[in-house]
Amino acid sequence: MSNPIGPSWYQRNYFLLRRLHSLTGIVPIGVFLIAHLVTNSSILWGKFALRGDGAGKSLIDGGVYYFAKEVTWINEQVPHLLLIEITLWVSIAFHSILGVVYAMSGKSNTSRYAYQDNWRYTLQRVSGYVGIAFIFYHVATLRWGWKFLVPGGTQWSHHYSASTLALALRGSAEGMTTWGLLVSLFYMLGVTMLVFHFANGLWTAAITWGVTVSANAQRRWGRVCTGIGAALMLAGWSSVIGFAMLSPEAARAQENKLLGKSAHAVPESSSSEVPARPE
Amino acid sequence: MAQQRVIVVGGGLAGLAATIRLAESGIGVDLFSMVPVKRSHSVCAQGGINACNEVARQQGYSEYEHFDETIYGGDFLADQPPVLEMANFAPKIIDLLDRMGVPFNRTNEGFRDLRLFGGSLFKRTHFAGATTGQQLIYALDEQARRWEAEGRVAKYEFWEFLWPVIEDGRCVGIVAQDMRTMQIRAFRADAVVMATGGCGLVYGKSTNSVICTGAAAARCFQAGVWYGNPEMIQVHPTAIPGADKLRLMSESARGEGGRVWVPRKKGESRRPKDIPEAERYYFLEERYPKYGNIVPRDIATREIFQICVSEGMGVDGENQVYLDLSHKDPEYLTRKLGGILEIYEKFVGVDPRFEPMKIFPAVHYSMGGLWTRYERGSYQPASPLPGHKSGSRAPIGAEIGQGMQPGSPINMQTNIDGLYAFGEVNFAYHGANRLGANALLSCIFDGLFCGKSVENYVRDVVASKGQADQVPQGAYDRVVAQEEAKQKRLMDTVGRGEVAPEINPYQIHKELGTEMTAACTVVKSGPRLEQALKRVEELKERFARARLSDSAAWTNQSFSYARAVGDMLTIAEAIVKGSAVRKESRGAHYRTDFPERDDAHFMKTTVAKFDPASAQVSVELVGVDASLVQPRKRDYTGKSAGGSVEKKAAASPAAV
Amino acid sequence: MNLASSNSISAQPGRTIRFRIKRCDGPGKPSYWQAFSVSPEAGANVLSCLQQIAANPVTADGQRTTPVVWDAGCLEEVCGACTMVINGKARQSCSCLVDQYAPNDGDEITLEPMSKFPVVRDLWVDRSRMFHNLKRVKAWVPIDGTYNLGAGPRESHEQQERRYALSTCMTCGCCLEACPQFLPEANANKWDTSFVGAQVLGQAHLFNLHQTGEQLASDRLDVLMGQGGVSDCGNSQNCVKVCPKHIPLTESIAALGRAVAVHSVKRWFTSK
Repeated sequence: MSNPIGPSWYQRNYFLLRRLHSLTGIVPIGVFLIAHLVTNSSILWGKFALRGDGAGKSLIDGGVYYFAKEVTWINEQVPHLLLIEITLWVSIAFHSILGVVYAMSGKSNTSRYAYQDNWRYTLQRVSGYVGIAFIFYHVATLRWGWKFLVPGGTQWSHHYSASTLALALRGSAEGMTTWGLLVSLFYMLGVTMLVFHFANGLWTAAITWGVTVSANAQRRWGRVCTGIGAALMLAGWSSVIGFAMLSPEAARAQENKLLGKSAHAVPESSSSEVPARPE
Repeated sequence: MAQQRVIVVGGGLAGLAATIRLAESGIGVDLFSMVPVKRSHSVCAQGGINACNEVARQQGYSEYEHFDETIYGGDFLADQPPVLEMANFAPKIIDLLDRMGVPFNRTNEGFRDLRLFGGSLFKRTHFAGATTGQQLIYALDEQARRWEAEGRVAKYEFWEFLWPVIEDGRCVGIVAQDMRTMQIRAFRADAVVMATGGCGLVYGKSTNSVICTGAAAARCFQAGVWYGNPEMIQVHPTAIPGADKLRLMSESARGEGGRVWVPRKKGESRRPKDIPEAERYYFLEERYPKYGNIVPRDIATREIFQICVSEGMGVDGENQVYLDLSHKDPEYLTRKLGGILEIYEKFVGVDPRFEPMKIFPAVHYSMGGLWTRYERGSYQPASPLPGHKSGSRAPIGAEIGQGMQPGSPINMQTNIDGLYAFGEVNFAYHGANRLGANALLSCIFDGLFCGKSVENYVRDVVASKGQADQVPQGAYDRVVAQEEAKQKRLMDTVGRGEVAPEINPYQIHKELGTEMTAACTVVKSGPRLEQALKRVEELKERFARARLSDSAAWTNQSFSYARAVGDMLTIAEAIVKGSAVRKESRGAHYRTDFPERDDAHFMKTTVAKFDPASAQVSVELVGVDASLVQPRKRDYTGKSAGGSVEKKAAASPAAV
Repeated sequence: MNLASSNSISAQPGRTIRFRIKRCDGPGKPSYWQAFSVSPEAGANVLSCLQQIAANPVTADGQRTTPVVWDAGCLEEVCGACTMVINGKARQSCSCLVDQYAPNDGDEITLEPMSKFPVVRDLWVDRSRMFHNLKRVKAWVPIDGTYNLGAGPRESHEQQERRYALSTCMTCGCCLEACPQFLPEANANKWDTSFVGAQVLGQAHLFNLHQTGEQLASDRLDVLMGQGGVSDCGNSQNCVKVCPKHIPLTESIAALGRAVAVHSVKRWFTSK
């Protein structure tokens, strides 16, 4: 050992940290990512999941209704939500910090060795960096309520999950503002990067853990990961596009229905949750 | 008392085997090599390694027959007792390599697979894919690394051997140079093992690696070590001519139906495919209707050589002929010869399934080398036995110690006490011609079997004369000064401006290679040899005036190269003089003026000696120990007493 | 006559090509580029052109210079010595055919020393780190000694083929040169905590596959679990693509990934 006083704590736990890093990417982060994107994309398919309740609704109305119902359920019915959230945040922080350390231990060389696998190596690291920035923005603005980072200053609320999200992405109730567009594009980028990071990470994890040993097995699992990635990408993009194009007004009507209020009632919880709506 | 130390120069199979055996016995080893030992020339051996094995034994084969084949193949020039010992020891070597993890090819049941090779009717060649030499050296390299990790072996890689330090008639160390820092320094040792391989580069381009200059052997030779049978140089009939080296093309290409031809018209410029059948000269088929393209190796070599060199009919005016497989079904070729055809395609860029290959014989192996001694073993028949009939009962068993006395300090020791020569660098075992897949064997055999001899020598000499660290420093300083002076003389020639070709070491080497290839390979004759000797003298004179172009005091490769050119000239002189003295034809040595073997006068070793005063090489003849088996005519045409069928020999994979 | 004149490659005979060579006079000295004009011989490869340059070291603009220094051995792609970076990619120069790389008059070939190892001079680099790393993972079979103890273990045909493929590694360094995770490290004291790279992973796997070699498997896996071990692989898989011997390095990496996972669990439950 190069260190005369013996290996450091980091060196002694090197393998454990490496494998925990790999593991946390799948459980809980990856699992959460799937659940999150599936829920969010329900804006486009939620109507069909409403069974009888969705009969009279348009596609978007049904989506909003279903989505809002799911979010309400998560925020009000799921037990130990805070514990789950903390676990998730800790995992993301752990995965991110170690990920940056690991990413900095390499030096990309796609200019000389422009193989597809090598590009994915580089992209895995780039997508990690972008993902960290995106997740931070996403959680800070929508969960911790850092309104100053949201164009239009919207405060997200789980009672008005769809409409406030749409407002946060659009920048104003009137329509898409320039800042809103930038935020939406950032969401597209962030979601794309994270989905890639997850799908490619699933592929490399199978090698890291020695699940796919032969080159053919790695190829086959690669196709499965591509499939998973494509499906999640579809879910991610449809979520972002769906919400960015969603009319907050129409969404709020559905949300009020769910809350058992008249379509024009002013929300009780906080007047700041929804900006003044033009009459 | 300090630990006893031995220096091993050369990290090929012989050097590594010796290193491991010595380290294991508790002796410290300093291993010197010009390259990381794993890159030594042994990696190039493709074919395999011979040893009697259980299957062959039950079919009638024996260690004794392996011995007989080797003596017969070497045309009765080798001293017989060491060869007997090697053949008897061979199965143990295979077992050991197997234990070391060499991935020998396997049968369906998981036993070591065997292949048929030239010179035998029995499958007795063990192989690991198409790179047996590489696999064997890696196994030994790994074991040496294990000893290195334990501190028993110190490696000096990128160090060049310059001179042995000889004091009171015994070798007590070497002087070597770090090829990077250019530092010249002496190293003490209780014994020195030279395992520096062959001298193919004397011929310019050969199948050898760029490090096989023979310079180390030449330096020992100039320091007083005798050189045996220098004229015995093996030429492989089919090699791929290249701008930088000649690469082997397995003989199985001929075995699988390859046809050898040249255009009938000299200076033909058409592509081979455009030359009609009638205008192609299938010279082997026309001259040898019975065997055609699968004539024995030496005949094929000679004919190809003559067509090009004497008759000037080589393809494109160069020394090359077509070896044509393009008439065969490409899929069949891929199935049968895939691996070897790939080599051609890789280095020539042409697919031999569709275009004829261009090939030419190439210098491949030096049977001759530093002269060594041995102590006879226990088998001493009253008179030599008649030639062994293939498959018949062996007259003796295969116990160790019948050929050479195990552990005798003089085994494979040169005429200088404490200076040993192992592997291709010595002259033992292969006589006038080496059988395929016997080279790897002789290298490892030397290292393992004679390694014990070095160990015993060291223990004895230390007891009687004291360790090398008691030798006065002056003995070492003198040699260091000699080498520094040699370096200074060459380095002082570096100047500005262009170096005239006449005194450019690269040009001198090139001309030496051309001359040696023309005069001293396949076909030799008295007058031509005389001419060659004059040419070597002229080159020597030019080398004395040589000029270098790099004055760097760091990693001066062109200086090291130039110094080696001077040593190659010395070896060349020994080869030419040995060839001239041997007025007969035997094995690889063929004289047009003396086409027959002459046992009465020349069943003798040519021993070359160097006189430092006159810087002249003299050659004398010394009798061969043929006390075990009677000489008989070497004849591979199918009716011979030795019983080896040439057709099989030619059809089997190349002896490499 | 040019070899190429009678075959499928349409290289221009009698052409002159340029070599741009990244040179360096020694450790710690600055690198500089020099160009050389060469008329390649028939069947020339990069090494034969370097030989031509060494015999008459004159740059393309007529300046006399020192001969270019390079490392070479067998010239048939089994010793690994002559590896360098040719037109940006690591490969052996002996098998690099000039007819393919520079078929036309005026074509250029760039030669650089491998960037992951310290330069000795010009194109010659010091790869002792690769040999050092072999010691780290005890890449050998721990036999009892060289005296006769009979044959080695029997082995299936399939197993032999698997081991043979790994055993053709010639320590050339292409896999390391192309690896984004294997970085230059001049300080030998840091080698033991730096990534070993595919070369050593393949060799560790090779010896773990051997019945006797497996006795040291636990020692090897201990090393490969640590810093610089198999976990440092970033799965760019460049190694397997540039390996001149087509060694299935990524399969070894995956197999070791599995082995260390099992080993770590075993160790956690059983070690004292």
